Amino acid sequence: MPTDQIPEPLILEQDVWLSLTELYAACDGESVAIDLLIDEGVLVPNGAAPEAWHFSGASLARARTAMRLMRDLEVNGPGVALALQLLDEIAALRAQLDSTD
Amino acid sequence: MDYKDYYATLGLTSAATPEEVRRSYRKLARRYHPDVSREPEAEARFKEMAEAYEVLKDEDKRAAYDQLGQELARRRAAGASAGAGPGWDTGFEFHGAGDGADTGGAHSDFFNGLFGAARRSRSASVRWRGEDHHARVEVDLQELYQGGSRSLTLRAPVMGADGRLTLAERQLDVQIPKGMLPGQHLRLAGQGAPGGGGGPPGDLYLAVELKPHPRYRLSGRDVFFDLLVEPWEAALGAEVRTPTPVGTVELKVPRGSGQGRKLRLAGRGLPGSPPGDLYAVLNLVLPPADTPATEQAWRTFAQAFGGFEARPSTER
Repeated sequence: MPTDQIPEPLILEQDVWLSLTELYAACDGESVAIDLLIDEGVLVPNGAAPEAWHFSGASLARARTAMRLMRDLEVNGPGVALALQLLDEIAALRAQLDSTD
Repeated sequence: MDYKDYYATLGLTSAATPEEVRRSYRKLARRYHPDVSREPEAEARFKEMAEAYEVLKDEDKRAAYDQLGQELARRRAAGASAGAGPGWDTGFEFHGAGDGADTGGAHSDFFNGLFGAARRSRSASVRWRGEDHHARVEVDLQELYQGGSRSLTLRAPVMGADGRLTLAERQLDVQIPKGMLPGQHLRLAGQGAPGGGGGPPGDLYLAVELKPHPRYRLSGRDVFFDLLVEPWEAALGAEVRTPTPVGTVELKVPRGSGQGRKLRLAGRGLPGSPPGDLYAVLNLVLPPADTPATEQAWRTFAQAFGGFEARPSTER
């Protein structure tokens, strides 16, 4: 079995920025779903016009979670936006609990 | 190859109506979806559920599946074994949409045996980018502090020349950089599935999770641990030696410290810009009054603090 040595990987949430086209490509070309998530405010681009938009790597992770929820739980746009908001809140509460034990 | 009881997976009988199938799937999916579930084995169970739903919600697939079920029941009644055999090829071939890269790309062998492997239909003249692959890595706290390396064995379905899906294995050495937080992802460009028609390969995403530690807990980049102290150390102050993720340290417990007080070691949390802090949370441990001597010691102690009251007089 061959062993590959590869260059140092990038931390998605810290080091990666994507244009809108790159974001579509990284999400299996699901441009309709991505546009919907931008509309709902789930994904927030930096920059003025769509041609200049760029998204953080954290947006990519969030987009994939949103698309999984939409596909697997058959949730619509507003529903997935609410679900992600509540999941964020739960994560923050858990972190608080963890720090006080 | 074992028969998969899709009805049982969704808690249904074979007489379930389409509405009952949908209702049952939705309820179970909310409970076991890996993005929202805290149940153990959620991912594996959800994969089973999703495959069951994919078959039972589709009229044609369900009919093919039911036909197989009836055939097996007939054979069992006739005394034959209910194992897999060439008779399972019902002749149905479904060219489904994408094979769900997020779920590891795989339907079960049972599904593929019944419905044929799902294939992307692409015209030969089109260049297309390979799929992204996703995997998870568990690291320990020291690896978050210092970085680490991992040798991963990746298995991915590959379409052979004969049109059959096989699993190819390869090994990858990955450097986990310092300064990652659990829940973040590493992107390894070009390490996903090969593209077609000369198109580029997809990427590999590694989700990095932290192995729970018995002593240390995380909140963002800050690290917390319980520092056990004797009551007199807290009341009078003390110098305490304690292990930490960054080595043994001498901590000064201030005089008059209470239960739960946090002592901060600035910048000794997870690396980053700025780095997190390390907190020792004071946990006062009372010596038990379990012998006549220790009971007397407590009573003497109580008397020495004659006027002291923990609760206001209105609550006594």
